[in-house]
Amino acid sequence: MNAFIAFIMGPMVWIAFLIFILGLIFKLVVIIKDVNARESYVYSYLSVKYSLRSIFAWLIPFFPQSTRQSPVFYAISYIFHLLLFIVPVFLMSHIVLVNEAFQLSWFALDDTLADILTVIVVLALVFFAVRRQTVPEVKYLTSFNDYVLLIIVALPFITGFLAYHQFFFYRQMVIAHVISGELVLILIPFSKFSHMVMAPLTRAYMGSEFGNVRHAKDW
Amino acid sequence: MTRTLVFMGFILFLFTAVVAFSNTEPGTDELERLDTSAFEKPQRPGAVFGHDDHNEMAGIEDCDVCHHVYDGKNRVEGESSEDSPCSECHSLKANPENLISLSVAYHKRCRNCHFETNKGPVLCGECHIK
Repeated sequence: MNAFIAFIMGPMVWIAFLIFILGLIFKLVVIIKDVNARESYVYSYLSVKYSLRSIFAWLIPFFPQSTRQSPVFYAISYIFHLLLFIVPVFLMSHIVLVNEAFQLSWFALDDTLADILTVIVVLALVFFAVRRQTVPEVKYLTSFNDYVLLIIVALPFITGFLAYHQFFFYRQMVIAHVISGELVLILIPFSKFSHMVMAPLTRAYMGSEFGNVRHAKDW
Repeated sequence: MTRTLVFMGFILFLFTAVVAFSNTEPGTDELERLDTSAFEKPQRPGAVFGHDDHNEMAGIEDCDVCHHVYDGKNRVEGESSEDSPCSECHSLKANPENLISLSVAYHKRCRNCHFETNKGPVLCGECHIK
C-alpha cells in the first residue's frame, strides 16, 4: 500500500501537472488554429488595448453591469474562484510537502481558517448545483456533464476536509483526496474548466469587437 | 430534480451524523507522542511514537540511524547523539548551517524509511492522530 501511496504522491503528481500544463498549451494552439482557419477576419479588429480594457473591467468585482444584476450569484462566484486557489495553495499541509520536496516555503493559512474556507467552497458548489436546477435560463443550458464537473471540483475539498478531521477511513480518504486533486488538474484542459485560460480570450474577442467596431463598452 | 435534491440532502445528513458520532474515540490521549514544545504554534498534535515498541517491531538496533552526528556534510561513523535534543542541530527554520529544519528532519526520517520498507504510516494523520 505504501508503494501505491508513493506513486500517487510522487510520479503521479508530475504526470498530472504535465498533462495540466501541456494540455492547456495544446488547447490554446488548437483554438488559435481554429480561429485562423475559420474566423481569421477577427484579426482585422483585434486590439491589445481593447482586449486588456475588457479583461481588466471584468476583473473588477461588480464593475460590469450584468454582475450587478445578479449580485448574489456573482458574489458567491468571486469568493468561490478566489478560494479555489487560495485554500490549496496556502494550505499548511500542502506547503509542508512542497517544502520537503523543493526546500520552498511561503505563507500558510491557519488550519482552522482553511477548514472553514473549505466548507465555504463546498457550499458554493452546492449553490451552483441548485442554481443550475432552479434558474430557468441556466437550467436550459445545463447538461448532466455540468453536475459531474461540479462534483469533481467538490471531491478534493470534501475528501480533504474529511481526511483533516480524521473522521473515518483516513488512509482511503487521503488516497481519494490525492487522486481527485490530480483528476481535476488533468481534466482542466479537456473540459469546461479550461475557462481558466480561455476566459481572457473571450474577453479579448468581445472587448475588441465592442471597442474597435461598435465603439461601445462591453461591461 | 426533487430526487437529486433529496439525495444531496441525504448525503449531507449522513456526513453530519458520522461527524457527530466519530469524534469520541477514547484513549487517543494516552498514546505516547513526540514533544512539540519546540514549536511556537503547533498546528497538529505531536506524532504518535513509542520509541522502544517501534524499534523492537522494526528491528532497529543502531541508535545512530536517527541519533546521528554530522560534521558539516559528512556523517560521523560510530558516533551517536542520544544525549542532545534534535533541535540542537535541526532548528525550526532551515538555515545555511543546517538545511534540514526540525519538522522536515522528522517527516523525512520517519516517512522515507516507511516508504523504503513498505511498512508503517506515511500519511499526515497516520502519525499526527487527533
